[in-house]
Amino acid sequence: MAESPARTAFAEEALTHLDVLYRGALRLTRDPDQAQDLVQEAYLRALRYQHSYQPGTNMKAWLFAIMRNLFWDRFKGSRKEDVSLDDVGEFVLYDKLRDEGAKPEADVLDKLAASEVVEAVEKLPPLHREVVLLVDVEGFSYKDAAQTLGVPIGTVMSRLHRARQQLQRSLFDYAVESGIVHRNGTGQVPQP
Amino acid sequence: MNCNDCVEKFDRYVDRELNNTEVLELKLHLEGCPPCADQYEFQASLKRLVKVCCDKDTAPAAFREKLRQILL
Repeated sequence: MAESPARTAFAEEALTHLDVLYRGALRLTRDPDQAQDLVQEAYLRALRYQHSYQPGTNMKAWLFAIMRNLFWDRFKGSRKEDVSLDDVGEFVLYDKLRDEGAKPEADVLDKLAASEVVEAVEKLPPLHREVVLLVDVEGFSYKDAAQTLGVPIGTVMSRLHRARQQLQRSLFDYAVESGIVHRNGTGQVPQP
Repeated sequence: MNCNDCVEKFDRYVDRELNNTEVLELKLHLEGCPPCADQYEFQASLKRLVKVCCDKDTAPAAFREKLRQILL
């Protein structure tokens, strides 16, 4: 079927954001097949609602919003998975590592495996995970993230803060489990 | 600015969300306070690490092609 030039141009521009959408979907669903389904559906919906996109505005944010809304529609039944991080309490990895006698950056950050960092992100509840994806991974401003998620900027900031606390806790646990740092140690860090 | 005020602004500083005056105040404090400067550097490195580890994935070529067939 021959498409109109305007629709083709719109689709071409939308496809320049495919990697961002795919990465977001992959992190949200934690499954490559589900991620592809989600992204495909998001693009079809975007084309269907092309008229509601205002040219010159942030298309990446608009597409991401469609994709994450679809994700939440699909997972409505399992929203209980999205446990609150309200009660995680303050956890400052830097202080914790210093307490353990480790040099936080050289001894720990540089030694964390990429797969563990990804896993720590994927372990975050989805409402917090998506803020990390937007702000930390894709570099969205708080304002754009708030618009994408349909929440006030203050909510973006508090979710991001809690997400980072939880992330640091997970990375610390991993660093201890893998022997990168010794819990309650005396500054011992395994030598290579 | 004391250390607590400084640390409290780290999230917004690493996210480039502070205004010019706040950035200036924070930089002044960091220049004179090595412990805060170290902690800030750690926070910034952690943010970079999350980005580097999570933005490696790209859409598979076959999927991209499939979408082009459907959409264009």
